[in-house]
Amino acid sequence: MNTSETSQNVPEQIVALLPRLRRFARNLTRDHHDADDVVQLAVERALTRLEQWDSDARLDSWMFKIVRNAWIDEVRARSRRAKVFVGADAGEQVGVDSMAQHTDMLSVQAAMARLPEDQREAVSLVLVEGLPYREAAEVLEIPVGTLTSRLARGREALQLMLKAGES
Amino acid sequence: MSIPDETLMAFADGELDPVTRDAVESAIREDPHLQLKVAEHRALRQRVESAYAAELEDEIPARLLTAARGATSTPGLNVISLEERRPPERGAAQPQRGRGWTVPVSMAASVIVGVGVGFFLWGRQSPLVQAADGALVARGRLAAALSNQLAADSSPGAAVQIGVSFLAKSGDYCRTFTLGGDSPAGLACRRGTAWEIQALAPSEGVSGNESGYRTAGSALPESLLRLMQERIAGEPLDQAGEQAARASGWKPAHP
Repeated sequence: MNTSETSQNVPEQIVALLPRLRRFARNLTRDHHDADDVVQLAVERALTRLEQWDSDARLDSWMFKIVRNAWIDEVRARSRRAKVFVGADAGEQVGVDSMAQHTDMLSVQAAMARLPEDQREAVSLVLVEGLPYREAAEVLEIPVGTLTSRLARGREALQLMLKAGES
Repeated sequence: MSIPDETLMAFADGELDPVTRDAVESAIREDPHLQLKVAEHRALRQRVESAYAAELEDEIPARLLTAARGATSTPGLNVISLEERRPPERGAAQPQRGRGWTVPVSMAASVIVGVGVGFFLWGRQSPLVQAADGALVARGRLAAALSNQLAADSSPGAAVQIGVSFLAKSGDYCRTFTLGGDSPAGLACRRGTAWEIQALAPSEGVSGNESGYRTAGSALPESLLRLMQERIAGEPLDQAGEQAARASGWKPAHP
């Protein structure tokens, strides 16, 4: 394997992606601490699997996918351990904060936290992280048509929540 | 003409193929209702995007930087290992004395500021110091130790030993370090999320020490002490000060 040159740079490229990976993980987990744990796990996994990364592919999409899979594994492990439904509390919390503070940023984030998971993932990858539909569908391992309809439903729900919050 | 909302959304996102895009474009030109829907999609996108823009500015925890730079114990990676700073074995040609590194004589004289890129990069797989944006920055274990290690944690056997931490007149936090054995000592200051190497100098007593082991409290080279005295604002940090600075992520304390 002659990717030493490429894989040399990858850790630094991953460092540069850390802010976005954290942001995506926060949207997934709705908890800052969980998000950092998941990102750390994902980064460690990614480094052991660098040879699986097709260097023609986008590194951000590949990393988002690993972050998401790390979170899926974590949720499974937790439900095995304690049958706790993860994240519901965090979502509520954000909602309460936003009522108190009324800044647009918090309203949007609170609305996001209340979206169903599949819509939240789609909105987060396309609207927050700016991935093209095709890349986002790839990260979520779903057809582009499915991504499009989740995105459309997610946006509609966000729009409704935000309008309700304003009136 | 009725256009499904998903298509309008994809239009707003610039995701349609050229043929469909042109068709939608001419349809909405005639229809203020459709124009409004597209504008709504764009506005929402903009609103969501800006609601999360500030998160990119958040300080990245050291543990994530360390993980990303491969400082894990998992084999087969670009593991950052201080051992690798030693030049590769070249069979019998390797000198017996086994001194871990050699400073070009001209460099050994005093403080080395802005040393060449090639210097100290012999680890190749795992440099502890790397050139980035015209500065030398700490990497790997050195960066991790500068971010996380307290002077009190620096046992004689530790790969990186932290000496004195202080707030510089520039408002940045700076720390001196030694790399154990007869490797160089240095001064690094926190700039943004990196530790910039200000100076490297051979450890005191290099020539007399061939065991690769130094006892606790290895003295800082004169030249580094002088540099430190020039830069320091007030007193060096005590342990509580170090802990507080670490907790703040070594954020510069500009007045």
